Amino acid sequence: MNGGEHQPVLAVDGFSLKFSRAPGVPNLVDNVSFAVGSGETLCIVGESGCGKSVTSLALMGLLASPPAQRVAGTAYFDGKDLFALSERELADIRGNRLSMIFQEPMTSLNPAYTIGEQIAESIRRHRGIDRNEAREQALEMLRLVRIPAPETRLDAYPHQLSGGMRQRVMIAMALANRPRLLIADEPTTALDVTIQAQVLSLIRNLQAETGTAMVLITHDLGVVAEVADHVAVMYAGRIVEYGTVTDLFDDPQHPYTIGLMGAIPSVGKREGALATIRGSVPSPEQMPNGCRFAPRCPFAEQRCIDAAPPDRTLAGVHRVACWLAPVEQSAPAAASHNGAAASRREVA
Amino acid sequence: MSTTNPRTPILEARSLTKHFGGTRQLFTRTPTVYAVNDVSFAVEAGETFAIVGESGCGKSTLGRMLLRLIDSTQGRVFYQGKDITHQQGAPLRRLRREMQIIFQDPFASLNPGMTIGQIVGEPIALHGLARNGAERRERVADLLRTVGLQPAYADRYPHEFSGGQRQRIGIARALAGEPKLIVGDEPVSALDVSVQAQVINLLETLKQDLGLTLIMVAHDLAVIRHMSDRVAVMYLGEIVELADVDALFDTPLHPYTQALLGAIPASSPHERRSRPALSGDLPSPTKPPSGCRFHTRCPHMKPQCVQQRPVSETLPDGRRVACHFWRDIQNAGSGAPLSARVSDKLTERLALYRERQSAQAAATAAAE
Repeated sequence: MNGGEHQPVLAVDGFSLKFSRAPGVPNLVDNVSFAVGSGETLCIVGESGCGKSVTSLALMGLLASPPAQRVAGTAYFDGKDLFALSERELADIRGNRLSMIFQEPMTSLNPAYTIGEQIAESIRRHRGIDRNEAREQALEMLRLVRIPAPETRLDAYPHQLSGGMRQRVMIAMALANRPRLLIADEPTTALDVTIQAQVLSLIRNLQAETGTAMVLITHDLGVVAEVADHVAVMYAGRIVEYGTVTDLFDDPQHPYTIGLMGAIPSVGKREGALATIRGSVPSPEQMPNGCRFAPRCPFAEQRCIDAAPPDRTLAGVHRVACWLAPVEQSAPAAASHNGAAASRREVA
Repeated sequence: MSTTNPRTPILEARSLTKHFGGTRQLFTRTPTVYAVNDVSFAVEAGETFAIVGESGCGKSTLGRMLLRLIDSTQGRVFYQGKDITHQQGAPLRRLRREMQIIFQDPFASLNPGMTIGQIVGEPIALHGLARNGAERRERVADLLRTVGLQPAYADRYPHEFSGGQRQRIGIARALAGEPKLIVGDEPVSALDVSVQAQVINLLETLKQDLGLTLIMVAHDLAVIRHMSDRVAVMYLGEIVELADVDALFDTPLHPYTQALLGAIPASSPHERRSRPALSGDLPSPTKPPSGCRFHTRCPHMKPQCVQQRPVSETLPDGRRVACHFWRDIQNAGSGAPLSARVSDKLTERLALYRERQSAQAAATAAAE
């Protein structure tokens, strides 16, 4: 991460992906780079359709290709090029050293097998130990994720468990083989707030114990504030801002990040209307050529429409892809420009 | 509103109870789900009243009973002082016009085979609010404009719209009957943050402009804090606390409310703290615990809680709490109050962001 002597667990560089072979179709995920070190948590934040889940599925090798097509970029997991692995090699890593938790715990568990069988299956597949030993370890995992009465739960079917309990089973399964990296896609979104708090603190404690690196995908900035070390803000397939969690919360640079933070109702005393981000996310067919946020950005100028802004590093790891950031420096001049534009329009 | 006594609440629930199931089958009985149990409260005209709780607490069932979309097992509902618990026929239809609902899922609640014009126009036709087709179309166009959509959308179908737009359509339909009261059943929880903010702002503006009463059924505490005047906290079918929104968030009295607020994620990384998370899951509503229903998860549980159901106590300021020991708990301290620290840079940039956005809006309006 810091260019020091230990290499990151996962390093993604310049990753681009599209779902069509036709030329001229914009990349659905465009030039995405990030890295996570051992024991670290990277949060990828963004709204539906920003490409955060697709990126994680691609890294896990879980996207069917075609239609998905990697256009550019590399992803090194523990020094191995993930995109160069054969399906068999990938299958050995997946669920073992690299595992994933999905959002909806009901649809990601097999309803026809008991919890114990499902956890044990993954342990046996990767470690080649016998049935009884695997069951013993499955029980150990259920204890680890603090499921009450684990001995009896081992023989329970998914439908017999509550949502929070199922998500804990998913976590037990994902961590059963002590992965180096855990990708969690909205792991608490389907859960109630008290259960979410339980699951988050569980993930945090387990991570501290096992040193697992984590990529946590979420749309909830509260979850980010709670668990992230680093944050990548994604918009329409691009990382628009990246930094440490304090960079992001104390010094948000990109207008999208600013709008997003203003749009969240606060639990403190209420004050006025929420900030909004006008319009909606562009569909792949109408993806802007320049900055993809420009049509919704209150600061947008001509150059934002003409060309995509390059990544600019501000300090440390904090980087932003915006021509105008920080906005307070470019805004005063731009304000008069905007007023002029308005009066021109009035005359017309 | 002028015809009724200003003291009369617009909507009142008295000991509302709803049980599902318990019907006899061939050899067995289906288990009875005690969804809502002895719930009473009054909603004043013009306020935003929130019902909050976790999934399975009975808040949606309660919302539906208030609107007479499902019938209660026991208890009564009063609308503007009139008992509507058993109303049928024409009076019920009139009621339907005045009390509307906005559903959670904008993808499931609009008929895919109808155009937007038909969806929004249906209540207008149904309640005879327009003399002819032209007038109805006019009214639909007005409604679409009110919720921030182009009138031209009337000829399109629901699948052509995004989630936020669909929720606006749902709101336009709810407004079509010129209601006095709207129940929002998780109206923004299926939406992305930026779209959610748009819809929240829209609901607030509409409420102001049209003098509506809003009942928000929701689980997102931040949304509730932002929108509501008073809040009822539900746990396993019962109201455990009812208070003004600021009082509730500043000094929650019931241990469940305290746990709920304590579970809200930090609003900034500087406020990370380890907090005592509520242990365990919601007990099954088919077998609610004895005494206080919260006792199985309550950190302050005492023997009395297992045996005796706490009565809802009304304090001098009108807030209500149903806990035997709320006074003792309060003295024990209920954790750090919620704060939302916002960095100076964010504050400055956000102000600039809003300023530029309204300048842009003004410029667009001027151009039109």
